[in-house]
Amino acid sequence: MIVDGQFIVSLSLIVATFALYIGIAIFNTAKQTSEFYVASRGVPPIFNGMAIGADWMSAASFIGMAGTVMVLGYDGLAYIMGWTGGYLLLTFLLAPQLRKYGRYTVPEFIGDRYRSDTARLIAAVATIIISFTYSVGQLSGSGVVIGRLLEVNTAVGTLIGVVLIAFYSAMGGMKGITWTQVAQYLVLIIAYLIPVIFMSLQLTSSPAPWLSYGEVISSMRELDQDLGISEYVVPFTEATKWQFIALMFTLMAGTAGLPHVIVRFYTVSTMKAARWSGAWALLFIGLLYLSAPVYAAFSRFILMTEVAGSSIDNLPAWTQPWINTGQLSVADENGDGVLQWQELSIHNDIVVMATPEIANLGVFVIGLMAAGAMAAALSTAGGLMIAISAALSHDIYYRSINPNASERKRLLVGRYSIVIATVAAGLLALNPPGAITQIVAWAFALASGSFFPALLLGVWWKRANGPGVIAGMITGLTVTLGYIFFSQSLGIQLLGIIDTGAGIFGAAAAIIANIVVSLNTKPPAQETQDEVTDLRYPEQMQYKNGEVWLKE
Amino acid sequence: MKKLERAKAEAYFKYRTTMIVIYLAIGFLVSYAVVLNAEALSSFRVMGIPFHYYMGAQGAVVTFIVLLFINAIVSDRIDKKFGFNPEYVDKADHSTVESSKGSE
Repeated sequence: MIVDGQFIVSLSLIVATFALYIGIAIFNTAKQTSEFYVASRGVPPIFNGMAIGADWMSAASFIGMAGTVMVLGYDGLAYIMGWTGGYLLLTFLLAPQLRKYGRYTVPEFIGDRYRSDTARLIAAVATIIISFTYSVGQLSGSGVVIGRLLEVNTAVGTLIGVVLIAFYSAMGGMKGITWTQVAQYLVLIIAYLIPVIFMSLQLTSSPAPWLSYGEVISSMRELDQDLGISEYVVPFTEATKWQFIALMFTLMAGTAGLPHVIVRFYTVSTMKAARWSGAWALLFIGLLYLSAPVYAAFSRFILMTEVAGSSIDNLPAWTQPWINTGQLSVADENGDGVLQWQELSIHNDIVVMATPEIANLGVFVIGLMAAGAMAAALSTAGGLMIAISAALSHDIYYRSINPNASERKRLLVGRYSIVIATVAAGLLALNPPGAITQIVAWAFALASGSFFPALLLGVWWKRANGPGVIAGMITGLTVTLGYIFFSQSLGIQLLGIIDTGAGIFGAAAAIIANIVVSLNTKPPAQETQDEVTDLRYPEQMQYKNGEVWLKE
Repeated sequence: MKKLERAKAEAYFKYRTTMIVIYLAIGFLVSYAVVLNAEALSSFRVMGIPFHYYMGAQGAVVTFIVLLFINAIVSDRIDKKFGFNPEYVDKADHSTVESSKGSE
């Protein structure tokens, strides 16, 4: 471990931001079950939007996305459109209705709407699988950042993250997390934007990178043509058009079906607040997503013009630590003593973390990036842990095992399950089963194959019934997992669609199965159908026995 | 509680649903439709960036954000136009712990 100026600045920034988050969590320690899960439904939409943003933007968004766009070019934009477009499906089709139905968790909605305990249990298990898969990605991401930063082993970094997450999720519950996440959003967005704005001033002399990076894209076109490589903006160089569409759909539908994101819409008091929360959330998320392609273009341009072409014995100082981590490789293949662009290989996941060093932005900005990356990884992991704990303590323990459990006992079960789930995910993250983005993509594919169809039909089609949703969720999960497995290990692909696009097949199969089985079994009771019709109208109205009533 | 005319209630639902269909169609157009025609659309440029790339990196996301805010504003107006209070909070909300027990 090397203690230098950079180390001290980075560490103090991380410690200061953590102290802030934990302070907020302690200040807001949840006392009631309802506060623990949904923050008493009193969070104003603009802050709820920030909290959704922090929940949403994970290690994959913060650390991985700009690098993915840089490496894949146009094909990487499927992530940008998919992860933002999901908020259209969520806010237009699901969130306000789920808010009106008013339950604590997604499995609870599915169980009550479809009048099926089996469906609730399947949904609870699916929540745990999806959130757990996703949090393994987050914890291994935080391990990479802490490990690189403190120059300790990645495993030690992961363990530090585990302790922090377990502590503040279990202490604060949703309310603690909501306000903590507002703080985390601010830290991560400032950390993300400052380097982009500095690079923009350096390269285009404009403080608004979003408007000025076109000139960098144009210059890169000439550079690519001179090198004779495929141009940066040319579409479908990495995969087929159908893979692009399938991936974009999977990410959109997965977003609309992720339990830890949907639960955020339960923390508001009205359908109106749910719509505004969705709008604010996408605005705050958009700030980062609009900046990622800028990041990608600037980093690629600097690498092409300032690093490529330099003498192999005289590379910039920042390259060495990253070469040591194995994420960056330079090899003078043709032996001319000069590093060519083609001889430089940079891993997706280090682009954002290395860019402040590449652009020579100074110790403070580099430290801020580390604090921002930690905020992204920890805030998402915290939200995921709440979703797992709610599924275990509320949907499984309270609703199925011990319906007479006191509020205190349920809180206790919730806290224990957070600690256990965090430690279990942490142990798996010590030796992750895939790259961060890949693990995250599987979680989205599973959500789009299970929850998205169940919620969509549950809200919009009153004829959908218990057997239908059970068949739908099981078929959707089976098809998604099957396609991931077959395309990964046996190389069987349809239209060039690989494992990350599996959700499109899962969602289609689940919708068909739900409709076919529902139509061939008994329709839901009139009371259930009335409940679904009731979701068409705002909070103030109630649909009962074929009449609409206005509450005063 | 006051009974609401059936026709009015149905008109409300139809109005809201039509708006959602329009928003989703626009969202589809700026994302999926552009991707499907990416090669053909790359010939003209916005801010120096080929159109298909511009839409993926910026145009679609900005459109999504604008659609969500338009929806939030228009929905509030529709509610008011039909005489509903969008800020109404039901005190006897069936989402509290006590009454969710009772609803089973």
